[in-house]
Amino acid sequence: MSNILEIRNLKVNFYLPHQTITAVEEVNLDIKKDEIVVLAGESGSGKTITALSITRLIPPNARIISGSIKFNNENLLGLEESRLIDIRGRGIAYIFQEPVSFLNPLYTVAEQIAEAVMLHKNKTKKESILEAKALLEMVKIKDAEKVLFDYPHQLSGGMNQRVFIAMALALQPRLLIADEPTTSLDVTTEAEILNLLLQLKNELGFSLLFITHNLSIARKIADRVCIMHNGKIVEEGAWEDIYHSPKHFHTKELIEAYEKIGKI
Amino acid sequence: MLNYILRRLLGIIPLLLGITIISFAVIHLAPGKPVTLEQSLNPKVSPEVRMKLERLYGLDKPLYAQYTNWLLKIIRFDFGRSFSDNRPVMEKILERVPLTLTINLASLFFMLILAIPIGVKSGAKPGGIFDKIATILVFIGFATPAFWLALLLMNLVGIKLGWLPISGIKSLDFDYFSFFGKIIDLVKHLILPVFVSSIGGLAGISRYMRFSVIDALGQPYIITARAKGLPEKIILYKHALRNAILPIVTILGLSLPGLLGGSVIFESIFALPGIGRLFYEAVMMRDYPLIMAEVVLGAVLTMLGNLIADISYAYVDPRIRYRKES
Amino acid sequence: MMNKQLMCGILIIGIFALIAILAPIISPYEPSAIDQNSLLMPPSRQHILGTDSLGRDLLSRMFYGSRISLSIGLIAVGISTGIGLALGSCAGFYGGMIDALIMRSVDVLLCFPTFFLILAVVAILEPSIFNIMIIIGLTSWMGPARLIRSEILSLKEREFIQAARAIGASDFRIIFRHLIPNAIAPVLVNAILGIAGAILLESGLSFLGLGVQPPIPSWGSILIESKSTLGIAWWIVFFPGLAIFLVILGFNMIAEGLRKAIR
Repeated sequence: MSNILEIRNLKVNFYLPHQTITAVEEVNLDIKKDEIVVLAGESGSGKTITALSITRLIPPNARIISGSIKFNNENLLGLEESRLIDIRGRGIAYIFQEPVSFLNPLYTVAEQIAEAVMLHKNKTKKESILEAKALLEMVKIKDAEKVLFDYPHQLSGGMNQRVFIAMALALQPRLLIADEPTTSLDVTTEAEILNLLLQLKNELGFSLLFITHNLSIARKIADRVCIMHNGKIVEEGAWEDIYHSPKHFHTKELIEAYEKIGKI
Repeated sequence: MLNYILRRLLGIIPLLLGITIISFAVIHLAPGKPVTLEQSLNPKVSPEVRMKLERLYGLDKPLYAQYTNWLLKIIRFDFGRSFSDNRPVMEKILERVPLTLTINLASLFFMLILAIPIGVKSGAKPGGIFDKIATILVFIGFATPAFWLALLLMNLVGIKLGWLPISGIKSLDFDYFSFFGKIIDLVKHLILPVFVSSIGGLAGISRYMRFSVIDALGQPYIITARAKGLPEKIILYKHALRNAILPIVTILGLSLPGLLGGSVIFESIFALPGIGRLFYEAVMMRDYPLIMAEVVLGAVLTMLGNLIADISYAYVDPRIRYRKES
Repeated sequence: MMNKQLMCGILIIGIFALIAILAPIISPYEPSAIDQNSLLMPPSRQHILGTDSLGRDLLSRMFYGSRISLSIGLIAVGISTGIGLALGSCAGFYGGMIDALIMRSVDVLLCFPTFFLILAVVAILEPSIFNIMIIIGLTSWMGPARLIRSEILSLKEREFIQAARAIGASDFRIIFRHLIPNAIAPVLVNAILGIAGAILLESGLSFLGLGVQPPIPSWGSILIESKSTLGIAWWIVFFPGLAIFLVILGFNMIAEGLRKAIR
């Protein structure tokens, strides 16, 4: 199976008023077709920046210094704006932690989902809203009709995350990047969302890069686990290997934390 | 949302009360009674007539009774008669309201038309050339006394260049103009006053928009918009701008007292017969009923303006309009 | 701490302050000296800024005017900030009924267009330099009051937390002394902007004839003449207004510079 994503030697710097921080250093990461890779590590280890760098979504005070990011053998760094915009959404999609903040509070669910559909698939507003409804049903939202015309603040965290997933999958991406999507949800909802993601992956077929600091999620869904620490990937492998014979001290720390909290 | 409106409306009552109390207190600071002025113009007034006058104005009753009487009258919009020409005060004010209203609304419109695009462009690229130039201009605009600008422009554009008239609202031969000509004449007379009274607000609003846009562009939903593959233009004008412009409604409400206060100076400089000029003349002549009426009405208008602004904001922001039930 | 804006602003205000203090020494003429032979003369070597309709030297009048305008601004702001600090800290500190009463008063007073209120009071009490200072001060205390109140409210919260920690070794008073400078900062910035505002108000009032009365020269009262000499004597409009502009600019720069420096 070929690699859908190949990151080589990625280095990203943060430029703050009094110092420059290297957030990501020499990161190499491969993701195969339909593979689930969990990127685990503590806060500040550089996981999110790595994920955002893939489609150049990093904040203005950060810069990708060196490396290459190949998506379907196309190097994303150095791509011109219009091609990059095309790949965002159609090729690679994101879901984020705390979906209510990441959704525009002034537009309804329907408008936000339909937006990308209208633009990339060239459909009319009416057609796009119908498609939005179908997408909401795909993510197992029961009152799709009602939810369509709700605003993000009117929905619960779990609902918002389903909406977000629907929006992300609207253009059938090949790679879905999930940045701690269940961290702010309660345990039951978290399980539901995880199951939903697995289900959709099997139905639609996409690769999943899942970022978390919670190893129990890795145990549940990962084909492969990458442990990140201080901007570097320090260990990599299947869950069984990592869990039973961790090589890096930080992996051991994470496993200890996982044991303490208790396995789900 | 209905709850919000009701609460706000209820909150007006104490404000109105406060406004009337303060206005009443201010007028009765006068060392001499209003009657004194009238009498002093006519030294032959006998003590009996003076007592009659005092009873007429209710000045012989205790203060709280005077206040209550006055309050009951003004609730019915009876502000008494002007000292200068004995006409009912409300009549004098009402006939001048349209002009001041027109000028202030035109100023607001002008302010928004210019300030919003300037603010958006500045906020989209902070630190860029446009932003730097705009910032300097805004700084200068803030420091410029508006009435100085008015005088300078009158000198330059009005007299030296003769492009625009500098006083009144119509030219001498107004009546001989065609309908169209009349409109153009009116507009010409209003260009300078509207322009000058909008300068301060323009600077302020563009500054605020800039800040608001920068803030909106830093929000997480902008990352989502980019991740969805939306072009920058749509991100700026559809997502960021919509959020940034929301508070402008409130800002507009807040600029009302400034505009009203400004109208006193501008209408005097440009000899425009509006309520600002009326107030100035009333003050010069110590026409107390008129002064009181304008003070109360000015405050009430401001309060109403704020109320409308707040309610409009609640309507336009779905987070307030549709309060989450759970 | 210093930045270009702050320095520039201090420079400008410093120059004006010097002018105000040294006015009697540096003025080439007496501000009230009437000269029938030099009525409405444009700027020349004898009269650097020209003369007015009574032949008085504009430069000297402007120098003396700076004394009036600057002192009115300073004292008015002193009054408003003083009242504001007093009422605002009471409101923040005591809370409850006192807070509610004071804040309601603030809300009511803020409903009045400032100019309307000031003019009404001026109509009652005759305009004079003293009265103007007081009136401007009495109608501008709401801003500082709100500021200091919110600072005290947040201070109270922090104090509480600090009190819990202060059971340990931390010195309560030191923390208090740390927090106070932070509370004062926005009030200071507000006061500086207030001086500019007060000067603007005073010149507007004087221009309308309801402030400093001629022949006393304040930049606003000098401008009264500009209306009747429109088109004839541009210097009477230009220079007093320029002075007001520069002073406001200077204070604004200081305020902005301070804001940046504090951050």
